[in-house]
Amino acid sequence: MSKKQVAMVMDLNKCIGCHTCSIACKTLWTRREGMKHMWWNTVNTQPGEGSPHGWENMGGGFRDGEPQRGFRPSEADFGTAWDFNHDEVFHGGNEDAFLHANYGEWNSGENWKGPNWDEDLGGGEYPNSYYFYLPRICNHCTHPACLEACPRKAIEKREEDGIVLINEDRCSGYRFCQEACPYKKIYFNETLEVSQKCIFCFPRIDEGVTTACSRQCPGRVRFVGYLDDPDGPIYKLVHEHKVALPLHAEYGTQPNVFYVPPMSSPKMDAEGNPTDESRIPLEYLESLFGPRVKEVLDKIESERQRVASGEESELMDLLISRKWLDMFGPFTKHPRDVVSASPVRIVDPAQTAKVDVVRIMDIRSKS
Amino acid sequence: MKSRRVKDIEAYRNPLAAEWRQETVEYVKMAATPMAMQPTAYIRNSRANMLHGQVSELQVASVHDGETLALALSWEGVAPPGRDFPDAVAVTFPVRGNPILMLMGSKNDSIHILQWKAGKGVRSLLANGIGLSDKGPELKIASRAEEDGKRWRVVITRVLGQGANVAPVVPGHETKIGFAVWSGINDERAGLKSFSLDWIPFAVDA
Ligand code: SF4
Ligand code: SF4
Repeated sequence: MSKKQVAMVMDLNKCIGCHTCSIACKTLWTRREGMKHMWWNTVNTQPGEGSPHGWENMGGGFRDGEPQRGFRPSEADFGTAWDFNHDEVFHGGNEDAFLHANYGEWNSGENWKGPNWDEDLGGGEYPNSYYFYLPRICNHCTHPACLEACPRKAIEKREEDGIVLINEDRCSGYRFCQEACPYKKIYFNETLEVSQKCIFCFPRIDEGVTTACSRQCPGRVRFVGYLDDPDGPIYKLVHEHKVALPLHAEYGTQPNVFYVPPMSSPKMDAEGNPTDESRIPLEYLESLFGPRVKEVLDKIESERQRVASGEESELMDLLISRKWLDMFGPFTKHPRDVVSASPVRIVDPAQTAKVDVVRIMDIRSKS
Repeated sequence: MKSRRVKDIEAYRNPLAAEWRQETVEYVKMAATPMAMQPTAYIRNSRANMLHGQVSELQVASVHDGETLALALSWEGVAPPGRDFPDAVAVTFPVRGNPILMLMGSKNDSIHILQWKAGKGVRSLLANGIGLSDKGPELKIASRAEEDGKRWRVVITRVLGQGANVAPVVPGHETKIGFAVWSGINDERAGLKSFSLDWIPFAVDA
């Protein structure tokens, strides 16, 4: 086990599904060759198939401590990005042309399932339809199924902060990690023939800068810090107030990303009047976040009431995060302020293999 | 097994060359690597109820011309295109010491591997235990492969002699040889393969 563990809490009550996090990550890390299908950060609409499609049925993880067989998601399972006919619409000279994507047949074509094809579909029947967003990254698990499956010991869990990294020099592209990870958060780079995944922005973390997804999030959804730092936001939300829960804890990997489950509007009766029942079925939330969901939702509700009646609530203050930087534990530095001090900066740009690192640092200064 | 000396290796680089038909073919018995030897619990558990290493025979012939060694390898089982893992074959020689083939050598007893993969050609690897193979020494190697939808015919060539980690294969001397085959159709890679169980004496004509 690592000495310390960095972790993330995502408050699902604040996620607006804007995908700024995914774009921040994509821009920073997955623009190189063979990475087109990679979204180390995804935001899916729940209930839904997620990314890769149907990942919750692809096996892996542990049962009673024993590794379970899993399946490798294909590139197609991650969804092929749609192309749009912008040229035809804007420059084609046909005023009847309208913008559409190349997904082929509606509801069945070969490209139909883009990465986020079921966005905002959700579940339930009008007027009781519902959905919420679920952003996901690699969970940098305490018991990482990926690491334990690799016959080449190509995956390491950093001693100092528990970040799980794939050593691309050791990786032979065997993809056992992809099978074993129950969250299906490992991508295979067909060009480089290595597996790749979220790195928890470790070059930024090393410099005291939080991850790009958390720093860019306009919803102030993402808290970052050490799980075991009693003064940090993660410890408070997970251990003190106990309102942040792991996703699919039953997979047995001890994930280090936690979620504040979403509150729900009330269900409407036939006359359109609100009832006591919540629109997002509790059983559904429990299938994702486990048996403590009700307790957590009740706690948040009662803290809300306290604030409404003029009382103070440390939990509400934390969740509201009026001071943005309070969300990031010890990782509050601005990327601009560390880039000059970074050892990565002195890499010779002539070394083509490392050019991306330099570019990454440049982009970082704007993130 | 032996490698017969011929005048010129050139024609033998082609796996379909008529020259190969005059050479003695050895039928090497192959067997699945034992499940208990797979290096991680995930691999052992996930594959417990699946068969691997189903290629049970590898046909081998060899010649050399004093400079270059040629090995003709042939087995049944050609994966259709689009599989995640390629069909592959490997030839192994001990570098020094007395490495155990089934353990892929050890820290001081290395095994030199020439591994051919469909679509990728041959590469040199050095193994010092299970899961501990890395880029091997540089030496002159080449390969050519043919398949007819059913059977692979692959010729691997390497320069004779020896070097730091280059396994000695020297005219007039005997060494040992081992083999492994991976079936792409069966998603075989890493330790999931069939292999020749133990070393086979390999005499190189003077
Ligand atoms: S989420 Fe998957 S890839 Fe990430 S550490 Fe856990 S098992 Fe490994
Ligand atoms: S950037 Fe924040 S609000 Fe937007 S989708 Fe990502 S987590 Fe949700």
